[in-house]
Amino acid sequence: MSTGWKPGIPAPTRDDLNTCVQCGLCLPSCPTFRITGLETSSPRGRIAAMRAVQAGEASVEGDFTRFTDECLACRACEAACPSSVPYGRLIEAARIQTEAARPAHDRAVRRAGIAGVMGHRRMVRLMGLGMAITQALRVDRLLPKRLRLATPRVTVRGMRTPLPASSGEGPTAMLLTGCVMDIAFRPVHQATIDALVRGGYRAVVPRGGGCCGALAAHAGELTSARDLARKRIAELEQAEVIVVDSAGCSAHMRTYGHLLADDPAWAHRADAVAAKVRDAVEINAPPGRPVEGRVAVHDACHHLHAQGIGPEVRRTLRAAGATCVDLGDGGRCCGAGGIYNVLEPAMAGELGEQKARAIIATGAPVVAVANPGCAIQITNHLRALGSDVEVRHPLEIVD
Amino acid sequence: MTTTAGALADQLRHLLGPDRLLEGDLARNLYSHDGSIVGGDCGIVALPETTDEVAACMRMAHEAGVDVVPRGSGTGLTGGAVPLEGGLVISLARMREMGEVDVANSCMWVQPGVLNLDVSMAIAHLGLHYAPDPSSQQACSIGGNVGTNAGGPHCLAYGVTVQHVLGVEMVRPDGEVVILGGVAPDPPGYDLRGVVVGAEGTVGIVTRVLLRLTPLPPDVRTMLLDFLSVSDASAVVQAIIAAGVIPAALEMMDRNMTMAVEEFVHAGLPTDAAALLLVEVDGTAAEVGTATEVVERVARGHGVRTVRVAQDEEERALLWKARKTAFGAVARVKPSYYLHDCVVPRTRLVEVMEAIGEITEREGVMCLNVFHAGDGNLHPIIALDRSDPDETERAMRAGDQIVRACVAMGGTLSGEHGIGVEKRDYMPLVFDHDDLEAQACVRRAFDPDGRMNPDKVLPTGTRCGEVGLADTQVPEGTWI
Repeated sequence: MSTGWKPGIPAPTRDDLNTCVQCGLCLPSCPTFRITGLETSSPRGRIAAMRAVQAGEASVEGDFTRFTDECLACRACEAACPSSVPYGRLIEAARIQTEAARPAHDRAVRRAGIAGVMGHRRMVRLMGLGMAITQALRVDRLLPKRLRLATPRVTVRGMRTPLPASSGEGPTAMLLTGCVMDIAFRPVHQATIDALVRGGYRAVVPRGGGCCGALAAHAGELTSARDLARKRIAELEQAEVIVVDSAGCSAHMRTYGHLLADDPAWAHRADAVAAKVRDAVEINAPPGRPVEGRVAVHDACHHLHAQGIGPEVRRTLRAAGATCVDLGDGGRCCGAGGIYNVLEPAMAGELGEQKARAIIATGAPVVAVANPGCAIQITNHLRALGSDVEVRHPLEIVD
Repeated sequence: MTTTAGALADQLRHLLGPDRLLEGDLARNLYSHDGSIVGGDCGIVALPETTDEVAACMRMAHEAGVDVVPRGSGTGLTGGAVPLEGGLVISLARMREMGEVDVANSCMWVQPGVLNLDVSMAIAHLGLHYAPDPSSQQACSIGGNVGTNAGGPHCLAYGVTVQHVLGVEMVRPDGEVVILGGVAPDPPGYDLRGVVVGAEGTVGIVTRVLLRLTPLPPDVRTMLLDFLSVSDASAVVQAIIAAGVIPAALEMMDRNMTMAVEEFVHAGLPTDAAALLLVEVDGTAAEVGTATEVVERVARGHGVRTVRVAQDEEERALLWKARKTAFGAVARVKPSYYLHDCVVPRTRLVEVMEAIGEITEREGVMCLNVFHAGDGNLHPIIALDRSDPDETERAMRAGDQIVRACVAMGGTLSGEHGIGVEKRDYMPLVFDHDDLEAQACVRRAFDPDGRMNPDKVLPTGTRCGEVGLADTQVPEGTWI
């Protein structure tokens, strides 16, 4: 095993690493450190590990991969950091390294899952159909727990619910239909379309559609992430606004410019698309119906930490008359982390249970969740604790 | 790994399981550092969760004759939690339970891994808080606070950690568990709490702490005063206290520091001022009103430019965030910093600030100052890039001269960060042979084998009965 970064592919830069003075103020903001108490599962520790590789004292394989795999990439540490260490950029670069170093068979499984399935709309729908059938026959109970807890509730009827190709009048707003959202959360898409119409847009559902590449990028699969970004850019760039009702996807699409910066044919198109991205909660449309009573608010990490979105969710709900209740857990990650809950089930399970308990403690009958990964994780953990608190996208609540 | 160390690792693994014993090279590398620039060499890391487990770990280390270094959150600034030559690091980071609040006696037992700020957050609904508030309070642990006798901005009025620790449960180096102090105001026999608090892990490992809880003040006012000269700001500090007001906190920040931190907090700090004073007064509404008037009057008499009073809790929190995240913000200037923690008599503040300015200018290094002005506890932060050997050398020289200047003005080495390894070799500047020998004897009474956090606090060669002072150079290899 050679030490140092793998040559020829991106790696965390010395300049980025130098922004950390190891003060440790980030430690308590890190969900995995809160659980383990280990330096090795803290942002400071992971950065120190990157420095050790950079200095040629450690290799990318083995423990380094283990420590970085454990990171949720929730970026809560960025808000706590007084010197604004670009942690998200560091961990994504580290993951490009660990992916390249992973044994071929291990990598093949991840690739098949992320690029092979998520990257192709037909495969996603096929997977959805598989889920719907196994759930309808109730044989999903035979699946390993980690998969069950990471799987959305899917029905054939839900998957076939048609979305109108064009609704309303006004500037064109195109909807990212996505991957998981498309098979399991069509009602959220419909609610977003309704909100766009109320907000004075012409809401357009593009033909084709598919994954934005966020899952691939977070897993260090740079090539598939770039391929998917190009597809979405070509599909959506005609719109005046690109509306995304999944926090993880809106956060990622805003980085398209960075992702394709080295591709001269695409860089400017990527920048232009990134600038048009609006998260669905940023539409600022009047509510579709009044909402009475308490609504618990879960902040998705890709809203709060990656995009600074938080007040918008509350404003959307309050405009309909709801009383927003914060969870009292400091906005800690729910443990979904893209496909983290499949890859790191133990840690994800603890975080999911903590989050479900915090939601139940508010006593609210419904919790607003604006990201599909979080919604799946939170729903499954609430049900596992016997709770029937509803999990809804904020726009669904006011639809 | 030697046979003894290998056998110890086997025993610990059996006791704690593989997840709570770290043996890999990279993990050991991460535990060879704390918040300072001291680097060491970590043997293995154990993470016990109960007093019994700590006692078992200590017994095993005792039998194996292996050195032990206790560690809390690793936010220390003097290398106190950095193992220098292998041995066993016992991390208390998983001991995070808080007991019930004893409301009648205003106290509570907590485990050492509990974070300082978490204590205050957990008891706020009872109208109580834990007063010592180190700037790293969101991240630092109560165990580490006890080890270093930590201070904080509000210690000017409320006192430092030792005034807020009513009792400790401690595991001695041979594994015996003892309880020192308790709820009673004056426990019988020698009051050994004073030995344990501030001992930096050299006498045993504290496994539970009985904290004194303080009522939240009914009213608070936070003011930001800005000055066009550091000397004026320094003079105001002494003048406010001489006028009979002891603020809850009285902090100073110079222009270099203000510029770095304003970039992060966006609190509207005047970055053109030479120095800022953050003054907080608390008490009843009437007391706060009077104190505010006095502070303003004194400040105007010393050339204050503006007086900004925080209008609400949000603005107050923002001003404190600016103060408390200052160290971390240094990375905006340079990738590392070398920090001292000297204390000078308040009456010498003007002089010492001038001396620091002269020294750092002479050595051509950038110094950022942010400190507890009210109790004369300086924190000159010398920003440096350790990949530049010449700058590193100049930073070390400047730091050395600052320490000597402070001691020459009747000051001392550390207000709150502790001595650790980083200030250890300055001890002979403030203590003579006999003093150091006496301290070594106290240490030996608790730790006869010298296995607890060895080579920290007292200079190498200081042994009970055989004093030999090292020179004042930090040994080679401790700077990474």
